[in-house]
Amino acid sequence: MSSEPKEDVAKQDPREAVDRSCRGPVLFLAFSAVAWLLVYSLFAMLAGVKVHASGMMADSAWLAYGRIQPASQLALQFGFLVQLGLAVSAWILSHRGKTVLVDGGYLIFGGMLWNAGVTLGFLGILTGNASGLEGLQMPGKVLPLLFFGFVLVGLSLVQTNNRRTDEEMSPAQWFLFAATLWLPWVLAGSYLLIHFFNAKGVMANIVDWWFIQNFTKVYLTFVGLGTLFHFLPALSGRQLVGRGYAQFAFWIMLLFGSVGGVGPGAPVPAWLPALSTVSAVFYFFGVIAVWVSLKQTINGASAADTADSLAYNLMRLAALVFISMGVLNVFFAFPGPGSVAEFTTYGPAMKLLFNLGFVGLILVAALYHIFPSLAGIDFSPKMTRIQTTAIVLGVLGATLPSALGGLMSGDAVLGSGFYFASLGDVLLLVGSAILFLNFFGAILFAIKNCGCLAGICCRGEKKEANA
Amino acid sequence: MTIGLSFILGLLASSVSYFMLGLWWPVAVLLGLFAWLAFGLLDVKMDSTFTLLGGMLLVFCVSLSGMVLRANDQLSGLQYADTQDEAGTEFRYPVPLLGQARYGEKIYKASGCAACHTQQVTHEGVVLDVKAMGSEKNLAAVQEAASRFYKFTGRKASGGAVLGFVAGEWETIVTGANAADASKARNFLTRAGASVDVQVRFRGEDLMHNDLQNPEGRNWGRRRSVAQDYLFAEPPMLGSVRIGPDLANIGARYNRDMLMSILLDPKTLKKDSKMPQHGFLFKQAEKDEQRQPTREAEALVDYLLSLKSAHYPLPEAPVDQPFTSSLPKPVQIPAETADTIKPDEAGK
Repeated sequence: MSSEPKEDVAKQDPREAVDRSCRGPVLFLAFSAVAWLLVYSLFAMLAGVKVHASGMMADSAWLAYGRIQPASQLALQFGFLVQLGLAVSAWILSHRGKTVLVDGGYLIFGGMLWNAGVTLGFLGILTGNASGLEGLQMPGKVLPLLFFGFVLVGLSLVQTNNRRTDEEMSPAQWFLFAATLWLPWVLAGSYLLIHFFNAKGVMANIVDWWFIQNFTKVYLTFVGLGTLFHFLPALSGRQLVGRGYAQFAFWIMLLFGSVGGVGPGAPVPAWLPALSTVSAVFYFFGVIAVWVSLKQTINGASAADTADSLAYNLMRLAALVFISMGVLNVFFAFPGPGSVAEFTTYGPAMKLLFNLGFVGLILVAALYHIFPSLAGIDFSPKMTRIQTTAIVLGVLGATLPSALGGLMSGDAVLGSGFYFASLGDVLLLVGSAILFLNFFGAILFAIKNCGCLAGICCRGEKKEANA
Repeated sequence: MTIGLSFILGLLASSVSYFMLGLWWPVAVLLGLFAWLAFGLLDVKMDSTFTLLGGMLLVFCVSLSGMVLRANDQLSGLQYADTQDEAGTEFRYPVPLLGQARYGEKIYKASGCAACHTQQVTHEGVVLDVKAMGSEKNLAAVQEAASRFYKFTGRKASGGAVLGFVAGEWETIVTGANAADASKARNFLTRAGASVDVQVRFRGEDLMHNDLQNPEGRNWGRRRSVAQDYLFAEPPMLGSVRIGPDLANIGARYNRDMLMSILLDPKTLKKDSKMPQHGFLFKQAEKDEQRQPTREAEALVDYLLSLKSAHYPLPEAPVDQPFTSSLPKPVQIPAETADTIKPDEAGK
């Protein structure tokens, strides 16, 4: 059930038509995502420096640790992950459905709105207009902008999915379709509850936790899993085994990923932390089902095409991160271990590991695979190797020591974990800078030399020529 | 989906509706059966976006109502509560932010203090201490009850408590017991005819330090934080990481000068502090002059000084009470007043 038809079906490869329709919008979203990753790693490193040198940059308010840290989180989650997720979803939905991307213009326009929203939110946090909530740090006013931007992109994705050639939908399509609809719902829901109906007191925090839980456990996880469910079978040239397991996981993770996320000691009615523990345990059933399905699918196979082996191995690593985090999450969801880990650097470290080590790694790997077919030219292999090593080591370096340090030291005390974490931040910065240059260079090279991207940048000239 | 998997799904559905939603058990069983049938035998078609959309809408509604709206029903009625300060003066709690403090809250929010500081004091649970006193008549029975209690709960009989009973004096039977053990001790001892006194203590690293009872205490609050404390916070900046100390009760620990010097240079008070300096909150008219706080710094400190949320007892979060038997005997007070009143009466 490979989505890609055989080369020799017809002279005109349908994949080429699909790629042509994806080219502009997907590359636009992917490029802005890579740029936001660079912004994230720069500000994350700055934040780390502020912890070591307390007197540095003390006189400028916009460089306060409390501003650059949340701003960098916004750049990572909304700038990088969501946009690259949308780009990869667009590519997968159109390739799986064997149909051209419908209304790519919406994708570009929506992407511009989304970028404007993230930029305004980023600047808003730096200028001191943060909302004070943890999940929705950006000023409330930019949320409608983000919402409409996402809805425009989503319109295109949903229409593309509706025009698929096969009636059957594969697990990859369920997960990506659900993710595309879920984010605008929770975004609009939390905006209305917090900023329109003015949730009073801790209700604002409860809505915020609800948003965080839905954003990570449903939206980002589903984007990551949808991509895995497409690429792991596609790159290894095997059939996906265990559609039933995937279906089970889909509903379980949707139901239990959408409630919970309240810490064991939170100053709210006691049933909320209890509900979070229960839902985390049930969610783990879904994680196991995903693992069973993927394990049976891969079954030790390596990539069918050696050109894809890097992307394929990265995805396998990310799948490993997914299952290990699933086990850790269910363990620390219980009140006993949970209150040991609560308020320590374990929390942010796990968040970063999830964002970059699981979702980010999968999406970057997917980008490695789809970029050549879109731009007509591959990334520089040498730079790709360096940047991948730097990013993987950076993610591990920025997360594992501070997670361990957090667990060992307890809260309010910081061990040396922070110094290692800063080393990880530096590696991440190097990796994302090379990725950015690599991307940018490849695009420039493609435009100048081989005319592969003529369709994008010279459309106006072409039209003139036709006239 | 296979029969086995869908059976697990049905089992989950029924247990969720019984244990979490609290439905009547036949309804829960029916729901589970329905889920099993739908996924296992009828094989819900996952190929139609309509099915997906319908299921997702259902889940979204369950999630929104189960977590957010249900919490809102419970919390929307929060009002002022009565409490009292250390001197015993009663007042209505929480107190709205006054003067510059409201502006200070904005500065706190804008500077992102919540990235390193939480504003929620937690406790790890409740422990109970039990004391008992026997009279001359029932001393033997009380001793017998105490040793029976030790045997029953598998504790080592601490010789002092069993052997050292003196008629008419309070003796500690057990410290740090859980609720079940404490109620056993109370039942055993009262049946033997002893007077029993129980103390409720809150245990937790965040709470007040006490060499014997809470040696790891950090003095961050006298009780845990509850939803009532944040009635006027816009929004409550609870925070999730403690790179610095908790600030829920900072107003009760620090004074204005200390807070100012921490903001200007945290290392003056604590050498290994990880806190960055906040030079942008201070201005310097001339080069050699001392830096003066700006209006923002004053407001921020006003706000911090107003934070005393984990300080006053509330019905849902009481503050540790000592043994009533260890309080000064109330009998003496009427005697004194009687003494002071007598001459007056005599004068009349």
